Amino acid sequence: MPDLPKKKVGLVACSGEELPEGTVTRLAALRVLHELRPDDTVTICLPLFLAGGAGDRAFARFFPTIAIDGCAQRCAARATAQYSGKPAAGVVVNEIVAERGLPALEGLRHLNMAGEQAVALTAERIAGLVDQLLATPWDRRAGAPAGTPQATCACGSGLAVSTLTVGGAVVTLAALPLILEQFRQAGRPADEATAADLLTAVRVYNALPAGDEPAWRAALLREYAVFCATPQEAAP
Amino acid sequence: MTRITIVPCSGIGKTYGSVSREAAYCVTQDLRPGATQLMALSRLVMGDDAARAAVAAGPAITIDGCQLACATKMVQHCGGNVVRAFAVLEVYRRHRQLKPQGIAELNQGGRLLANALAEEIGAVVDALEAGDQHA
Repeated sequence: MPDLPKKKVGLVACSGEELPEGTVTRLAALRVLHELRPDDTVTICLPLFLAGGAGDRAFARFFPTIAIDGCAQRCAARATAQYSGKPAAGVVVNEIVAERGLPALEGLRHLNMAGEQAVALTAERIAGLVDQLLATPWDRRAGAPAGTPQATCACGSGLAVSTLTVGGAVVTLAALPLILEQFRQAGRPADEATAADLLTAVRVYNALPAGDEPAWRAALLREYAVFCATPQEAAP
Repeated sequence: MTRITIVPCSGIGKTYGSVSREAAYCVTQDLRPGATQLMALSRLVMGDDAARAAVAAGPAITIDGCQLACATKMVQHCGGNVVRAFAVLEVYRRHRQLKPQGIAELNQGGRLLANALAEEIGAVVDALEAGDQHA
């Protein structure tokens, strides 16, 4: 069953170990994750973009992310854009330091006072961006702010919806586009086993009537086959 | 002698990532500062030329926090020579009494485990230097 977090913002910290600013990115991300916005955020491991983190790549492709960089190299923003999807927002620690007139940051393992202040300021900036992004409808198929809010679930989660015909009735299913995409990315064939798993996944996000499961499986399998036959969008 | 590059995992969400980073700091700042240099994984991820050149120029020791082994994979991907790949979990298995906890701030067990790992890395650094001198 695919793991589809709802209304979450991904935090991608550069975590640069060579600079105090890198330590600030890491600690600021953790402060947002654990203290400021624990229900609204997840962290995404930047090296996993290259080392085989399919889940991390998929999340950042479909959900809004905030790149948290320590310096002008912007490794987190660039890596996210290169290997997954363009970040919805970004912060750069040394820009915040300059804006707020903080003295030089020092320490890699243990930040000085300025470093601690930078952590607090950066975390607050990130939390504000999280709030902004969660208030913005997000098109998870396009990986960008939605221009067609009617294409998302009425619950306000921002989950994409799509319609299909089941046993002659037209039904609207939340999250189906994302589920289909994840199955395609997982290389699932269009067969009966996949149909059963699709139905299980769809049930997580939709209250389906009991009975007539063969019709549901057939409809989902048909939709999945069409989806797989559609050329994939070019990676950003 | 070319400095040995120490590349820790950059994971920020789990304790083992923090242990790997602390061990790397311990080696490069406390135990073998003259013989080693720290490399941020993010620079390798982005293909930074200077970072790639640094790992290609000499031996590298990687420290991974989980089985995905991002640090080791990235160094190899960049053409580096990984002379020893450490995994925090394996070190923990040798030091069961040092149970690491905490992420932003490691507990005492985590710090001691990082120190133990750093000592092991230091021994590898010493062996490499000795080999180099005899070469």
